[in-house]
Amino acid sequence: MKKAGVQHRILMIILMIVLAAVAFPFYWMLLSSFTPRTVLFQPPYKFFRLDLSVENYRDLFFATEFLTYMKNSVIAAIGAILLNVFAATLAGYGLTRFTFWGKKQFAQGTLFSYMFPAMLMAIPLYIILSALQMRNTYTGLILAHMAISLPLNIWIMWQYFQIVPMSLEEAAWVCGAGRLRALREVCLPSAKPGILSVAIFSFALSWNDFTFAFILQTDKNMFTLPIGLATFVEQTAIHWGMVMSSAVLVSLPTFALVFFLQRYLLSGLRVGGS
Amino acid sequence: MSFSVRLEQVHKIFGRKGKEIAAVQDLSVEISEREFFTFVGPSGCGKTTTLRMVAGLEAPTSGKIYFGDQEVTELPPQKRDIAMVFQDIALFPYMTVRENIGYPLRIAGIPRPEIDRKVEKVAEILAISDKLPMKPAQLSGGQQQRVAIGRALIKEPKVLLLDEPLSALDARLRVEMRTEILRLHREISATIIYVTHDQVEAMTMSSRLAVMDKGRAVQIDRPKNVFMLPRNQTVATFIGTPAMNIIPGTIVPGGEGLSVRFLGGQFRIDSRHHEKLKGITKAEAGIRPQAFRLVPPTPGKVSGKIFLREPLGLEDEVIVQTPDGTRVKIVSGSGQEFVEGSDVGLDFEPKDLYLFHPESKHTLCFGIDSSSLLGPNP
Repeated sequence: MKKAGVQHRILMIILMIVLAAVAFPFYWMLLSSFTPRTVLFQPPYKFFRLDLSVENYRDLFFATEFLTYMKNSVIAAIGAILLNVFAATLAGYGLTRFTFWGKKQFAQGTLFSYMFPAMLMAIPLYIILSALQMRNTYTGLILAHMAISLPLNIWIMWQYFQIVPMSLEEAAWVCGAGRLRALREVCLPSAKPGILSVAIFSFALSWNDFTFAFILQTDKNMFTLPIGLATFVEQTAIHWGMVMSSAVLVSLPTFALVFFLQRYLLSGLRVGGS
Repeated sequence: MSFSVRLEQVHKIFGRKGKEIAAVQDLSVEISEREFFTFVGPSGCGKTTTLRMVAGLEAPTSGKIYFGDQEVTELPPQKRDIAMVFQDIALFPYMTVRENIGYPLRIAGIPRPEIDRKVEKVAEILAISDKLPMKPAQLSGGQQQRVAIGRALIKEPKVLLLDEPLSALDARLRVEMRTEILRLHREISATIIYVTHDQVEAMTMSSRLAVMDKGRAVQIDRPKNVFMLPRNQTVATFIGTPAMNIIPGTIVPGGEGLSVRFLGGQFRIDSRHHEKLKGITKAEAGIRPQAFRLVPPTPGKVSGKIFLREPLGLEDEVIVQTPDGTRVKIVSGSGQEFVEGSDVGLDFEPKDLYLFHPESKHTLCFGIDSSSLLGPNP
């Protein structure tokens, strides 16, 4: 008992050191974002300060296009989440429940296509979306984001549906439910952790994407946050205050997502492990 | 009103060309209204596939299935008036017990108050009323099974299909649920088709059963007949515990007619069987462990040594090794003082003896006669 207690304590100390190393940059970001521009580069640099101000945030909201970028990012992310969940769920279900010609090749191709670096697809996608006149549109950007995230999402859903017992669905059919109803009411609730994984992955990819947004969205009104943030770094000046405050705002949704869904994320991991 | 269920020359072949596996072959059976009919056999014999074809979860490769006068071969499960209990119970994990049982009615679009009323009635019959607000994972195996049965009963199906419903339960619960299912069969009006690998379940519950082997129904009959008049060796050894002893023997002309010689003894065969044994020189003799009696070693009787003795409470299971090395399993009343290694005599009535064809394994005859024991081989 006592030995286990000592071990536990050592483990906690190591964890705290690691946590400090990981969390400090976030803390520094948060602190800097509330530090007035004039004080930011004034030594001494203090770990704690009380002379905080919302100046950076005010500038961000009223002097820049931050809110437009935010809107664009949110629309692209929501679109990517919805389409990814819809497509990956149906594809994953189809792969586990039906036999069709070329099924094995399709599954292998899915994983294979995920292994291509996204950059490799940038130019072909640019050409295709230009031809479709989808540059500077939400649809074009969402499709581009899907092109990167969908293969892995299909793979995730395929794995999830494999652990949903066939007999559950059959039981629903015998109860009188049609195939789609059985999928919706019996299969999907059991695959919920998978669906959430897909949603989070799609969100993260779309929210953080720089490459595709940079290539496809040339109109400043269509910039997403990662591109918009890059404009704060100018040739002659870096607006650190704004970079920091926008970075805080950009990471908030990710924090919230992980914080509220960690229960599902962990249960998803457990399913995969057992 | 329930349906009769009729299968006509049903075949089911799995796999693609070149790698075909015949799961069910040439199966024809007529199950009458309200019958308790069981498909029994070892795993892989095609019994579950047959049930799934009746349910509509699997389409026969050829052949036809009728419910009453209506052909249902191509009908999807939703459109057949059936209910099914699955081997792995298959309760919906995210629904409460109440929602699980009421699910078929919800799909049928029945108003909520009526669903609640019916669910409560079914729950009362199955003694799970207090479990209604719980999730399946909070219940024991037996309670889950009751919920699954409740979900099947609530629709008042014409045909109730049960796929090894008791195999997930422990032994004591299994016996309990067996009685429960029988009681339900008396109370509801559905035709019940039951699948099990447990011959005791099949024998005790069914009005008729089909013994399946390698995709074929070897024998379709009442339990008593399957036990007394097995069509072949597979049925004979599958039904009854412990399994029937099969001992190689020879048919020899002797005395006034034919005799069978096995276990170092020779036994006369009554003339009524002679026709069937024409041209056969070898046969396999079958005798149930319960048909033997252990007696003190007597000249003129089959004898051997006690090889192993397992007390089972009221009875003992004893393995006796005869001088030619054959081992025979015997169930005898306990208290008989035969210790391992001691010499013992084996007594039985020739009426309890079955003879099987050595190659086709078909039953040649049973009860070779009650007449005399000709004595041990010289």
